[in-house]
Amino acid sequence: MKVSEIVPRLRLVNVTHKGNLEVEIKGGYTSDLLSNVMGQAKAGMIWVTMQGHHNVVAVASLLELSAVIITGGTKIEEETIAKADENEVTVFSTTMSSYEVTGRLYALGIINQQ
Amino acid sequence: MKRFIGDFHVHTLLSPCAEVEMTPNHIVLRAAQNGISILAITDHNASGNVLAALEAGRKYGVNVFPGMEVESLEEAHIVTIFNTWEQLAAWQKIVDDSRRDLPPNNAKKFGGQFVVDAYDNFVCEEKKMLLGACQLTAAEVISKSRYLGALVFAAHIDRPSYSLLGQLGFIGEELALDAVEISRCNVSELKTNKLRPLIGSLPYMTNSDGHNISDFIQGPKNLLEIKEPSVEEIRLALKGEKGRKFRPGYFISLNR
Repeated sequence: MKVSEIVPRLRLVNVTHKGNLEVEIKGGYTSDLLSNVMGQAKAGMIWVTMQGHHNVVAVASLLELSAVIITGGTKIEEETIAKADENEVTVFSTTMSSYEVTGRLYALGIINQQ
Repeated sequence: MKRFIGDFHVHTLLSPCAEVEMTPNHIVLRAAQNGISILAITDHNASGNVLAALEAGRKYGVNVFPGMEVESLEEAHIVTIFNTWEQLAAWQKIVDDSRRDLPPNNAKKFGGQFVVDAYDNFVCEEKKMLLGACQLTAAEVISKSRYLGALVFAAHIDRPSYSLLGQLGFIGEELALDAVEISRCNVSELKTNKLRPLIGSLPYMTNSDGHNISDFIQGPKNLLEIKEPSVEEIRLALKGEKGRKFRPGYFISLNR
């Protein structure tokens, strides 16, 4: 499934402008510990987190993740959005919890290949 | 230059996780007995025992710095240290205003939070939950406390929880920290520098993070060569500028 396909289904708000929405989502990862994400998330995954810090973009860019969903209505730093556009990373905002978002992604068939 | 043994991260019995033996009077007395000549009192999001510690410091001849260990929005612990009580009081107000209403502290579960005077007399019990994040980001904690004159360092960055490095993955240069603290469990990091690629050129410091007297005395300290005990001099020492020196990884027990 492509990033663009989940947007209407989860009613996500895209706060960025430069990311590629036609990229394929290859599984996902949910965590707020960026050190943990750096070690565990794989290229193409979609990342679900409550952290709005701009390091989120650096990690997403480094790992070549397909997109980031910032949950719980977390306030996203302006610098996060600026850095995301600079690095062509897609960042979504939602008021749904990480649990809710992860469950819905799973229900859409976005699962990790073992 | 004068030499000082400094511990910049010590909890009193106001922190729920600290033992009741950690009264300001007892901490400062033990510091004096063990040659610890610079001491920062850093309770979690609180400063209720700092005035008593300052008074005890004058009594025993120990340079006590008013401080606080703040938990940022990202659940990272950041230690702020000031020259004066007035600066800390202004900072306390900012931290208080940025904290959400939490349920009252459950002393049975988390431990009591006690305020005492400089002579170990009970003053009151803090009923508000002191643990927990404030609504300031790490960047805001650093910039706002520095604006008031703070020396700022990220606490125990090598630990799995409440570490700025753990929460953010790496520490960018835009955060105007003075140092990062390596915990007592990983003093070898001072030699191995395994975390270096993730934190840039920030200097290391090692403090006891003492929650009881034994850990406080036995935990790591820093050896400083500065003109006088002040935030400005400590900052120079951390940078290694103007002949000031800062050597982390100092243990009292090994140097007697």
